[in-house]
Amino acid sequence: MTGDLPLALRGQSLSMLPERAVYWTEAATLVVADTHWGKTATFRAAGLPVPRGTTAEGLARLDAALDRTGASRLLVLGDLLHAREGRAPEMLRMIADWRERRSSLDVVLVRGNHDRHAGDPPPELRIDCREGPLLEPPFSFDHYQRPVEGTYLLSGHVHPSVRLAGRGRQRARLPCFWFRPHVAILPAFGGFTGSADVSPTPADRLFVVADRMVVEIGLQS
Amino acid sequence: MTARRKPHPLPPQLRSWFEARGWTPFEYQHRVWHAYREGRSGLVHAATGTGKTLAAWLGPLIEGLEKEERPAPRRRAAPPLRVLWITPLRALAADTAEALAQPLEATGLPWIIETRTGDTAPAVRARQAKRLPTALLTTPESLSLLLTRDDSADLFRDLRLVVVDEWHELMGTKRGVQVELALARLRAFQRGLLTWGLSATLGNLEEAARTLVGSADIPFEIVQGVEPKQVVVDALIPPRIEIFPWAGHLGTQMLPQVVDAIEEGSSAIVFTNTRSQTEIWYQAILGARPDWAGTIALHHGSLDRANRAWVEAGLRSGALRCVVATSSLDLGVDFSPVDRVLQVGSPKGAARLLQRAGRSGHRPGAVSRVTCVPTLVLELVEVAAARDAIEAGAIESRLPVDRPLDVLVQHVVTVALGGGFVPEELLAELRSTRAYAELRDDEWAWVLDFVTRGGEALQAYPEYSRVIERDGRYVVEDREVARRHRMAIGTIVDDASITVQYLGGGRLGSVEEAFIARLKQGDRFIFAGKPLEFVRVRDMKAWVRRAKSSKGAIPRWLGSRLPLSTELAAALRHRLEEAERGIYRGPEMEAVRPILDVQARWSAIPAADELLIESVRSREGRHLFFFPFEGRLVHEGLAALFAYRIARLQPITFTMAANDWGFELLSPEPAPIEEAISAGLLDPAHLLDDIPASLNATEMARRQFREIARVAGLVFPGYPRSGKSARQLQASSGLFFDVFQRYDPENRLYSQAHREVLERQLESSRIGRTLERLIDAKPLLTQPERTPPFAFPLLVDRTRERVSSEALSDRVRRMQLSLERAAG
Repeated sequence: MTGDLPLALRGQSLSMLPERAVYWTEAATLVVADTHWGKTATFRAAGLPVPRGTTAEGLARLDAALDRTGASRLLVLGDLLHAREGRAPEMLRMIADWRERRSSLDVVLVRGNHDRHAGDPPPELRIDCREGPLLEPPFSFDHYQRPVEGTYLLSGHVHPSVRLAGRGRQRARLPCFWFRPHVAILPAFGGFTGSADVSPTPADRLFVVADRMVVEIGLQS
Repeated sequence: MTARRKPHPLPPQLRSWFEARGWTPFEYQHRVWHAYREGRSGLVHAATGTGKTLAAWLGPLIEGLEKEERPAPRRRAAPPLRVLWITPLRALAADTAEALAQPLEATGLPWIIETRTGDTAPAVRARQAKRLPTALLTTPESLSLLLTRDDSADLFRDLRLVVVDEWHELMGTKRGVQVELALARLRAFQRGLLTWGLSATLGNLEEAARTLVGSADIPFEIVQGVEPKQVVVDALIPPRIEIFPWAGHLGTQMLPQVVDAIEEGSSAIVFTNTRSQTEIWYQAILGARPDWAGTIALHHGSLDRANRAWVEAGLRSGALRCVVATSSLDLGVDFSPVDRVLQVGSPKGAARLLQRAGRSGHRPGAVSRVTCVPTLVLELVEVAAARDAIEAGAIESRLPVDRPLDVLVQHVVTVALGGGFVPEELLAELRSTRAYAELRDDEWAWVLDFVTRGGEALQAYPEYSRVIERDGRYVVEDREVARRHRMAIGTIVDDASITVQYLGGGRLGSVEEAFIARLKQGDRFIFAGKPLEFVRVRDMKAWVRRAKSSKGAIPRWLGSRLPLSTELAAALRHRLEEAERGIYRGPEMEAVRPILDVQARWSAIPAADELLIESVRSREGRHLFFFPFEGRLVHEGLAALFAYRIARLQPITFTMAANDWGFELLSPEPAPIEEAISAGLLDPAHLLDDIPASLNATEMARRQFREIARVAGLVFPGYPRSGKSARQLQASSGLFFDVFQRYDPENRLYSQAHREVLERQLESSRIGRTLERLIDAKPLLTQPERTPPFAFPLLVDRTRERVSSEALSDRVRRMQLSLERAAG
């Protein structure tokens, strides 16, 4: 049993993966948002000692999702790199090695606010960098929430999370996939990123990442 | 103590200064002046406001006068820095400066006294940057900031004496360690430096003095000042005690009697345990006696300096009839004693209650009296217990903190900035302090690696730069690193706080950012005794306007909840054991008897050799209440331990609450308590494995890491006008904790969080010893139909820890979106 959760949307089959990614079956495309690669390197460059390992973990998680789904294309919804100061040679080398192992994979980046400051990834990574929104009916893809008439938008930027409560005064705060009527917001993929609590309404659907499972949270009261 | 020669006579200028006030110096003051003149360091302990300030200050003045007898110095300017006065509260610095100025004026010495704290005006700071005054009053944080200056060795060249005021407040905290480190630095600059501490009476004065002078072979003297001959502890007894447990919550029901008590004298202080209680009682008293408007005031640490100064002046001049205060008034603010001292809520500790009592009648021989006002009927038992502890002389100790590496990391960067260091020399200096006397070579190597390479040598980060080596000296060259370090220094205690200001301009004080973060536009809250309406946050300030109605939320400050002291917990158990045997001594116990009867009828009062466990059902699930009566710190640890041990028997999730009397484990489904008891729930064996494992199962270490991350300079409090580059360096301490846990679990700051939680639970509060007591106890398991009085306060406690042996996804399936708005 995998922890993936299928979702039919606009006649297409999506799957939410506990790796914090969405798989679009018909287009064989894996979608992630906000990887923030090089964030820990940015900190280290400023004299803040954050351990290494988040990039390797992120790539391993990406591999797991790609292998399980058999995706032929990876779509990153912005904030691929965290900052210019974080373009550490070692981190870029790790990504280059990964790219070599995944040479047949198409990789597309829809630029986000951090990418503007950090700059595009080195050309040898062969990442197709585009300005959003990207139109692929019935979907559109963007870093921000800029709806495109007639499409359903998948986006990032927000790093959404929610707080849950249960009997026995239990509480939890978890990253989530937030599907609104015309736009979905993906959780941040990066391992060293914060999150912002969001407030879904009954018209939305909400899926939280609980360790290795994606679980839907009912919003009807 | 050393043999005493005839004391130096007081110089005529000071003798007439005393006479003009109708005062005679106390004998103990003479002893301190003498010891200082003989070149000895020491510690003075006495009740607040009994002349400790003069005891420490007049030594240097006498010395100055004796030097002035020689030909007058050629230069007219004030002498350079000679006396450094460290105070725990900014608010105290200004008051103390005033107190020091008066006798100085009488001597005619050309000295200058100034303060340097976060409140100091930029112009004064700029002047001080060129030249420090003869006597400087400052806080530990501001002193550390001075040590970051690259000319710090020159600044302190003529320093002769450091006075550490309210040392009992600092000792046992990381700020106290910061003071120890700063003192070691100053001694390195100035070999013959003398140190005098001023303290309230503690259970471990010898250790307090030794910690202050450092672990080197510096001789010191402990001088006992004036203590009140007699202390009376009594309580306001509720006229009618309802027997239902929820009626035990008195809130402000005792208001009429409090007002009567205030009216009995011409001045009173009403102490509370929290800032929010201060606001509540201030409003309540004013509501009962509107005619007292203008003569009643509020005093707590979050208020703006100008407000506090006005209150303190009012107390001194007698213009105020009543001040409602937190511990901000426990400390040195000097004013004549008040007629009545009231303590709202549990006294929590004998030393603390004594100190508060000392605010009344502290002339030699006078009776000091403190009247306790219960907010819960059961607190009356704690009042009786506090009286027992005081009569038995069971005064609490302050245990020093042992080698916290976060404070060391901060200090090492400070020294690197302040002129740089050679590792071997700095290590010797560090080991001269009590806190780092046992610093191991591997720990020191780790700290050096951490500040120079970002981690242990094997996994050093080439892009990292904080402290760098230049020809054998370790220095900071990066100006951005220097700037961030200076900004981070002030943050050992303060959570990020934010100024509260009227749209029209007036500043009211500051509250924790997390509280403000929960407010939305139009929300009302009470602060500084005024109903306010929240407008917006901008420029690191919370802008408010006056609200028309006083109906609103009271600020829920995050400040830690003070636990019952070990001494008081023991006295409390003794009182309850008496009650179990039908003995009710004194008015408090008589008053609380009906409630104890209900407890006995619905459940039980445990005998000395019993552990009471109550199992109660409610809509929320199954509650297990345990009552070891050991104080909150022990109970927090025991709750985690018991939850962990029970959760090993079956998949279950507990949330826990703890208070001074006991703790609660709450689960949606029944917990196998009887099976757990026979499986060794109370067994002290395997504690060394079970306790760390159980604490890891909670978020305690993660929370403890917040402070560590701040002190070690990983996260920054509010970053005014921060540019884009600063925003890219934003991460919460929780993120740091997670990333250390996963990728660098050997990191010492990460393990320090665990060590601090463990030490808090194990050493300072001794779970092990409690279990030794409980292993022989008979578990007394009751199943009351309603929540009995002992358990009721736990039932309503909203602060919870969690231990779970279920998969997160299984738990989440039973959960719903929280309706609570995001809280910090």
